[in-house]
Amino acid sequence: MVRIGARFAMVTHGNPGRGSADPSRSFFSRQLFTTDHKAVGLQYLFLALFSVFLGMGLSLLMRVFISPGPGHIGFFSAPGNASERYAALMLLHGSLMVFFVLTAAPQFGFGYFFLPLQIGAREMAFPSLSALSVWLTFASLLGISTSFFLKTGPGMSLWACSATCFCVADLISALNFCVTCIDLRTQGMTLPRLPMTVWSWLITAVLSLLIFSILLAACVLLLSDRFIGTHFFAVPFAASSALPLLWQRWFWFFAQAEVYVAVLPCFGIVSHLLSVFSRKPIWAERWSVLSLCAVGLSGFCIWGFHMFSSGLNPYAPFDFSMLASSLGIPAAFLIASWIGTLWNAKPQLTTAMLFSLGFLSFFLSGAVTGLFLSWRGAAPSAITDELVTGHFHLVLGIAATFAILGGLFFWFPKMFGRKLNETLGKIHFWLTFVGAYCIFIPMHWVGLLESSGVPSFAGSATIPRLGQNLHSFIAFAAAATVAAQLIFLANFFWSLFHGEKLATKNPWRATTLEWFVASPPPKGNFSVVEPVVYRGAYFFGVPFAGADFLPQLLAPETIVRRSS
Amino acid sequence: MPPASILDDIELIIDDIGGGGGSRPPVRGDGGDDNDPDRGRDRSWGKPSPRRYATAIALAMISILMFFMAMVAAFIVLRATSGKWVTFHVPWILWLNTALLLFSSLTLETARKKLAASDNRGFRQLWFLTTGLGLLFVAGQLAAWRSLVDQGVYASSTLASGFFYVFTAAHALHLLGGICALFYVGFRNFDKGDVTRALAAEVTSYYWHFMDALWVFLLLLLYFGR
Repeated sequence: MVRIGARFAMVTHGNPGRGSADPSRSFFSRQLFTTDHKAVGLQYLFLALFSVFLGMGLSLLMRVFISPGPGHIGFFSAPGNASERYAALMLLHGSLMVFFVLTAAPQFGFGYFFLPLQIGAREMAFPSLSALSVWLTFASLLGISTSFFLKTGPGMSLWACSATCFCVADLISALNFCVTCIDLRTQGMTLPRLPMTVWSWLITAVLSLLIFSILLAACVLLLSDRFIGTHFFAVPFAASSALPLLWQRWFWFFAQAEVYVAVLPCFGIVSHLLSVFSRKPIWAERWSVLSLCAVGLSGFCIWGFHMFSSGLNPYAPFDFSMLASSLGIPAAFLIASWIGTLWNAKPQLTTAMLFSLGFLSFFLSGAVTGLFLSWRGAAPSAITDELVTGHFHLVLGIAATFAILGGLFFWFPKMFGRKLNETLGKIHFWLTFVGAYCIFIPMHWVGLLESSGVPSFAGSATIPRLGQNLHSFIAFAAAATVAAQLIFLANFFWSLFHGEKLATKNPWRATTLEWFVASPPPKGNFSVVEPVVYRGAYFFGVPFAGADFLPQLLAPETIVRRSS
Repeated sequence: MPPASILDDIELIIDDIGGGGGSRPPVRGDGGDDNDPDRGRDRSWGKPSPRRYATAIALAMISILMFFMAMVAAFIVLRATSGKWVTFHVPWILWLNTALLLFSSLTLETARKKLAASDNRGFRQLWFLTTGLGLLFVAGQLAAWRSLVDQGVYASSTLASGFFYVFTAAHALHLLGGICALFYVGFRNFDKGDVTRALAAEVTSYYWHFMDALWVFLLLLLYFGR
């Protein structure tokens, strides 16, 4: 018979208090003007929640905009203004989703909240930098949203300023994350014992530290073009073709790596969730970590090779495709690891698990549709906007969103002390899952149709009519899917106040440190005794009678051999 | 129903832990490598190690280097591809500034030596001399801008001048951060808190030498890339 030792009990019993609530301070000073890592994480999450709904609304507007029917909106269809407004709409949708949802939520939302908890630290390394970064991010969101309503010239300037602001915020956060991971791990939390989530946050932070400085440099040059009259991107002094290419290349080097910045934390979260709900260790955990590193590294090197080895030649197909395909190896290994984890498992199909499986499904479909894009023979004709849009949204947008939602369903009990409603969650999952496929797979078809160039003699109107039908179908599916998100919104806010209260600290029977403090965690996280870590994060399914997992902080000397 | 108490929460009944693997107890003092479960033993719980400032400055320097290298890459690409690269006369005062900055690195190191020898008076004098030299450098950069403006060379004139202004401005801004750090170390009372003056001076010195070397590199780039 085994009981946990008194030392461990002290860690958890020391804090009867709920949350970081200090009743003498008002809501604003407690939640808004705070350097507490948990409050900062929540601020990032709410920022992302706001942005994702705004961004979805914008995407609906875009569908209305391009639909052939009578659904035009007066504001946008002013003559001569329409295409510009559409571009502004798309820019706003893209910036909101990429910066404030895909970059901010999985890395900074969950990261700020759970990184210190998972490595057994009381705070981030530099708490004031956490607060500074969230405020800069907020200012940037405000600026980017406002720029939409301005005229093109000032709007672009404001957008560039806001993007600069976001770069600085991201750099500050990345620095904070790196130092926290390096210097603040608790006793016994060696690198091999870090959970996959922490690994992915660390690797992403290193990657962000490198690439956001490049985007910052690009933004600085762009701003100096706009404000002090230099000509780095405008062309009067140079051979005409070079300069726009320079900006494009810079932007794409950033954007190429930015994809990995957005998706790496999602890899980590999905690995973690699959392991917890399969009740199995991550298959080949160490190699998965190395694969994460390799994805980060080659995501960055694709950029580097372009810039340094291929020098001025913008098309270095050999280098580029070599690196792009070498990226496939670690990515394939990660997929193998996820499937290996699921192999022969009896997964618990909670909503969090469903969302992780959804991520896997979208990621694999995206990989398949990506073949169309990487096949160079097909390139110029088949790569239409619709095909690229469909592919990109499937593999990055939707997949990452599913990982974020999985993480939210998983960690919501720890963050708020209440569970999200599982039934509503599952309804929401299935509607979104089917809806997303209904939007983006037909989008691929539209792309292929446009590029097919089928001569119109075979029943002249068939192809265009098919295209139109598909467009209407996509618009309908998008509206339905966005409507389904209202279920999530209702579930979120209802559960926040009336959700089922947690009966235990550790509802998912997970092993990492955050599950052994109160929900929500008290100020200072671990109060009396420093937590000590004795093993890796994925001791599941070890054949013990009574329990199938070993927490990271359970001391071996407290585990006694059963006397029978 | 899951049990309610915390202890029951993670109650384990274990038949055999033999060969479970990985459940290694912390062994005291088996070296300082990263696999040492005792790392950080000496620090008091709740206060993270002050070495985090050194880590942070190292990472920040990498990031700043990337920032400048991206601009340098743009410089090289534009230099090679632009049809006409109109150059201008680099003001002589830049060389004087460079000498000042290099000398300030020297005084900074001497100051740190004095601090290590607990000669506080000598440390202060040299430290403020360093700060003064840094301020002189920034003033000198402004003078260089002034003389360029007098020549009629503006940021908007040519690509080369645009790069000159952007490089010098970005470097001067970063250097001003260093000057703030110098003032901070010079004036702050280090009696309380977990950071010692020696550590603060060390961290500042890394950044200062880095800014120094970066400036020499940028100047050579601007000079030979005329």
